[in-house]
Amino acid sequence: MSQIVWKTSAPRTGQPVRGARGPEAAPGRNRRRLPRDWWYGYLFIAPFFVIFIAFSAYPMIYALELSFSDWHGGGQLNWVGFGNYTYLLKNPQFWSSLGNSGILWLLIVPAQTLLAVGAASLLTRSKMRFTKSLRTVVIVPYVTPLAAMAQAFILIFDKNYGVLNAILHFFHLPEVGWLTTTTWSKPSIAVFVLWKTSGFALIIMLAAVQSIPEHLYEAASLDGAGAVRTFFSITVPMVRRQIGFFLVISTLGISQMFLEPYVLTQGGPYNSSTTSGLYLYQHIEDSDLGTGAANSFLLVILVFLLSLIAVRVLRSKEDM
Amino acid sequence: MTTETTTATAVRPPAAAARGRRTTPGSRTRRALGYLAMLVGAVVFLYPIFWMVTASFRPGVSILDDPLGLDLSQVTLRNWTGMFDNVPILHALLNTVIVVVVKGGVLMVFSPLAGYGFAKFDFPFKNFLFGFVLLTLMLPTLVLIVPLLLEMSQLGWINSYKALILPGAVDAFSVFWMRQNIAQIPDELIDAARIDGAGPLRVFRSICVPVLRPALAALAVLSLFNIYNDLVWPIVAVNDQQHETLAILLAGLNANVSGAQAGVSSADLWGQLMAACTFATIPTILLFVFLQRHFIRGLLAGSSR
Repeated sequence: MSQIVWKTSAPRTGQPVRGARGPEAAPGRNRRRLPRDWWYGYLFIAPFFVIFIAFSAYPMIYALELSFSDWHGGGQLNWVGFGNYTYLLKNPQFWSSLGNSGILWLLIVPAQTLLAVGAASLLTRSKMRFTKSLRTVVIVPYVTPLAAMAQAFILIFDKNYGVLNAILHFFHLPEVGWLTTTTWSKPSIAVFVLWKTSGFALIIMLAAVQSIPEHLYEAASLDGAGAVRTFFSITVPMVRRQIGFFLVISTLGISQMFLEPYVLTQGGPYNSSTTSGLYLYQHIEDSDLGTGAANSFLLVILVFLLSLIAVRVLRSKEDM
Repeated sequence: MTTETTTATAVRPPAAAARGRRTTPGSRTRRALGYLAMLVGAVVFLYPIFWMVTASFRPGVSILDDPLGLDLSQVTLRNWTGMFDNVPILHALLNTVIVVVVKGGVLMVFSPLAGYGFAKFDFPFKNFLFGFVLLTLMLPTLVLIVPLLLEMSQLGWINSYKALILPGAVDAFSVFWMRQNIAQIPDELIDAARIDGAGPLRVFRSICVPVLRPALAALAVLSLFNIYNDLVWPIVAVNDQQHETLAILLAGLNANVSGAQAGVSSADLWGQLMAACTFATIPTILLFVFLQRHFIRGLLAGSSR
């Protein structure tokens, strides 16, 4: 997926151009002498690397060490081997937090992806006007501060005076405790996330659909393919790469999600909305840092495996 | 790849508009339904913001009596004055501005420089170091929270601007992106400047920066929103009012807990809460309206990795 652009202007002759790393430069790698000013490279990356090492690389290694200890933020650091990992894997709360995140994923990601591709396709294929205006409107929630909008949604979801229940009441439907019942806490969080992040999905898919060459659609219509058929055999395969990217990004996002339930429901009621990210945060609040670190690595492994599967599935389709 | 996408988007609209004229009568109903769907979508996405903003100007009783918020006859500023009296929001805004400016400044200087170093210089272990940076692109920030928290407490940096600013001030994505952009600058251009006697830093300033301007603008706008709205790390690193940013302050506000104020009904506190939220949200929307182009370019650059 990450195609790195080494050089757009390929050196015309084989002359050693500084920084050239094209295929033709590879064999002569050892012979190529470093330019006189090579140490400037270190000079330019140094400020970045100092901060990077201090606040990204070092903590990462520190976290790995912590995950094998029973550190509580003070006192002695005891080595516990895989104790934290086995503790978590045997802990039903850990699994229920994963389950909650899994359900949220199911509530959010498939619908969001399909709707974004569908809407992008409709807007582009039907040559709708105001597409740009709609794009602007839909992305606005994405730039608003999460904390502020979550507070507004608490009131919108309110059982007695909230907007949603007022609408239900208008249609003579029973009122719902959106954030206060175990049934509805997860769907409510999903609604908030869908509202907040769908603009991002739409922007990506719009750009992808708009760059599909027109002649593919002309060929399909000559072959007598209907709208649905065209959507699934041309649009979806053509934006597969962006779908893959979006799936990986949202899986990563949902596995880490903790602010949404933290502000909306505090994980309740009865832990029904305690996501894997919030569960991890609760370890930090309890100063159970060793377990927290182990929990974060378990999540990383899980997300990595899921992303791998997603990439595999999408690639195998490409081969067909 | 990035450029492909942007050019395609840029070229398309006029063509699409031209084609739009040729509509058959049969498709007219479908298009009408399409516009209706667009309208519904727009309302759904804007309504919560509309509701929040209007609620901040309505008396508490009105918020309760008319949940839909369509009755705008009783406008009042009481929520706002009450909010400014009770919530240290201006101080939080000041903190947010400090963090945005300093953190954004560090990012905007160090990331392009590192990208330049990686793109246009050869030095030992370059690929190893760059690979290491790319590796962290895949790791979630959540992993860093526990060890960073310990690191901060060892340094005595809990509840400080340093803790808010330095971690995450540079990130793998920005370096990766800047490197990609700088790599596209032809070496001939740089060599020509070198022959004219420009040093490496001079080349960066007078050749790379002008060429990079669109990418730099997109990075700046993206980072502006990211830092302004950032909450995951700040909420762990800071727990005193003196260093609280807007996002931390808002996450901690709670209509029920702050009910301790004498003589204020809980409905009025809803209004105050919405005033605080509106206060934090309006700048993001205004900035977005003006900087939209750069913001969207930044988002798309991220998606084409």
